[in-house]
Amino acid sequence: MPLEAFKTSAPLTMGVELELQLVSLSDLDLIDASPDMLDLLSRRPFPGNVVPEITESMIEISTDVQTGHDGLLAQLRQIRDALVAAGDRLNVGVCGGGTHPFQQWSERKIFSKPRFKEVSQLYGYLAKQFTIFGQHIHVGCASADDAMFLLHSLNRYVPHFIALAAASPFVQRRDTLFNSARLNSVFAFPLSGRAPFTLSWHEFERDYFASMERTGIVKSMKDFYWDIRPKPEYGTIELRVCDTPLTVERAAGLAGYLQALCRCLLERSEAPPAESDYLVYNYNRFQACRFGLDGTLVHPKTYEAISLREDILSTLRRLEHHAGATGATQALAHIYQVTHEGSDASYLRRQYKERGSSEGMVEAAIARFRDQDSA
Amino acid sequence: MWSELAPRVTDLAWPVVLALAWLVGESGHRWTGLPRISLYGTVGFALGHTQLGLLPPPGDGSMMLLANVAFGLILFEFGYRINLRWLRTNPWIGITGVLEAAATFAAVYAVAVSFGMPLLAALLLASLAMSTSPAAIMRVVNEQRSSGQVTERALHLTAVNCVLAVFVFKAVVGFWTFQTSGSVWQAVSNSLIVLAVSVGLGAAFGVGVPALLRGFGRLTQDATVAFAIAVVLLVAVAHTFKVSPVLAALTFGFVARHRRLTLNQAQRNFGALGDLLAVVLFVFVAATIEWPRVWTGFGLALALIAVRLASKGIVVGALARVSGVSWRKGVLTGLALTPISVFVILLLEQTRHLGIDLVDQLAPLAAATLLLELIGPIVTQRALMLAGESAEREEA
Repeated sequence: MPLEAFKTSAPLTMGVELELQLVSLSDLDLIDASPDMLDLLSRRPFPGNVVPEITESMIEISTDVQTGHDGLLAQLRQIRDALVAAGDRLNVGVCGGGTHPFQQWSERKIFSKPRFKEVSQLYGYLAKQFTIFGQHIHVGCASADDAMFLLHSLNRYVPHFIALAAASPFVQRRDTLFNSARLNSVFAFPLSGRAPFTLSWHEFERDYFASMERTGIVKSMKDFYWDIRPKPEYGTIELRVCDTPLTVERAAGLAGYLQALCRCLLERSEAPPAESDYLVYNYNRFQACRFGLDGTLVHPKTYEAISLREDILSTLRRLEHHAGATGATQALAHIYQVTHEGSDASYLRRQYKERGSSEGMVEAAIARFRDQDSA
Repeated sequence: MWSELAPRVTDLAWPVVLALAWLVGESGHRWTGLPRISLYGTVGFALGHTQLGLLPPPGDGSMMLLANVAFGLILFEFGYRINLRWLRTNPWIGITGVLEAAATFAAVYAVAVSFGMPLLAALLLASLAMSTSPAAIMRVVNEQRSSGQVTERALHLTAVNCVLAVFVFKAVVGFWTFQTSGSVWQAVSNSLIVLAVSVGLGAAFGVGVPALLRGFGRLTQDATVAFAIAVVLLVAVAHTFKVSPVLAALTFGFVARHRRLTLNQAQRNFGALGDLLAVVLFVFVAATIEWPRVWTGFGLALALIAVRLASKGIVVGALARVSGVSWRKGVLTGLALTPISVFVILLLEQTRHLGIDLVDQLAPLAAATLLLELIGPIVTQRALMLAGESAEREEA
């Protein structure tokens, strides 16, 4: 099946998908509750969309297409409230975080749906280990070439999103020393990483996708697990590196930051992206995963070493007037606050220390997700 | 020569039976997929003293204590998994539990009376029939590695109906004592005081043990051994002072879970220790059942099982939608509540020292217990499988 035509969409519109954890309130371990949750949620109209994910202890929600941060946040809050209310009736806690700190991957159940069963057949234990939770942000593009331009221009900013969203410090009851351990699980997949370099949709379609399809390795864009991938049927690019944050406020903040950043990049005032930018890409990505906001980046053009936190702060300053235009001022204020107070990963580590156990950490994550005013 | 060996052979009886039960359990589970505990029970019953007679008659001795410890461990784990807050956030769970138990009580009482059973015996029978065996539910859930609404609800409804059963049972026993002895004091001490002391003892452990662990600064470490030793001690103390080890262990689990500032990590099922003691427990309990009694009470037992199944299935099923799950899952939850047994037997055994031989009075219960001991776990297992909540079987 050839790649479908890139459907253009209103530029800079956005949509957010969140993969959320379903936790038993009895023992705070993951619970295979998605069939029951979906059944209960289907009884009344859901604000947005809710679908199953690969294992039964995950659930994925998505917003409608939104033009601004405020509308996005309002809908995410409605979605959250619907989920929390349903969870309360089923003894299920809903929370963010990129990994569950002590679940056993071998206990997970694959959701009964043909595609998930196929993926599980192909990838074996990787599929169950894929019980990790990410936030995907879509940004609308006026044309397919704009999409390719944005996708590659963002390469230098990918570490920002990793560090700001990082919320997966623990795996199997142990502190991994990473701020986002989740991305290590994504990297195990053969078709993960970054998209091949080309700024032309036509070239991408003809030279890359068609050839890959002939090899028999891929059938659709869904088979690629890239950090950023084009989504022709929506007319968007999709940023996939963020851990699901502990609050919907942060999820909306990250989306607003990306929206303002894309608006700025589309002015094309920076040096255009090049294949050689990717020399430092994996190293920078590692720095962000491992050290979070304290990581050090190598600038892809100048090879100068820069502090990740400083780089975000200087970007925020550059984005100020764009934020005014897209209505993302509140989002940027939120991001600014994160650079000072630390990411969700540091919050989780603090909770672990205070409460003394992984279970306590999960309890804190559940409380944080449902709490209206925590931001 | 033989006379010299004979006492030693008797000493061998239990270990040999346990080995046999384990063997049957493992191979039977592998070949037929039946729950292990049903198979342990079958072996225990078949070799019991009034049947094939390999086992000596069960006394009040060390095997009884060991069985109580095994049951205590399971009950502690059970209590530890119950989230009382759920009963508040979704009141329909508690309402379902109370109505389901009440319906079972009424139905079983009516059936017993219509079979010509004396009033008090019928009341006792009805109170015991309310309860689901937490041990059987826990073991099947763990064996199936099941999780989902049927699993969660079966566990929580079991907690509700067990607590109700203990209270109603003790109240009726108190009433019975008053009628037979005429002494209010004896009646109260046989019911209320025993209840209060059991709960108090469990609660004291529930507060004390986590506090002790915190004092050690070992919160992040595995607390399995600490909790296991505490349960052993608690059961022995309860046994010695003739209060209910069952209620004490259950309270310990509840309180340890809800009073903690942080949860301690404890191995599911107490790991290999739990598996080992489960063999002892289910063999022992089935071995206490005597065939002549089973035979006497067979007719009423079948009727009892039928109305119990119906009342649980109908009530839990009818309240399913309003409490947040599908009709189908509701009925399956009701069916999953079928196992009786261990709980009942241990309660009965403990009333023997009161001088009321309820075991004799309640012959139909022996029959019902035997049937449900063997069949109950299978019904629970099938219900969990039909609900799609048990883990896929490992590919060989």
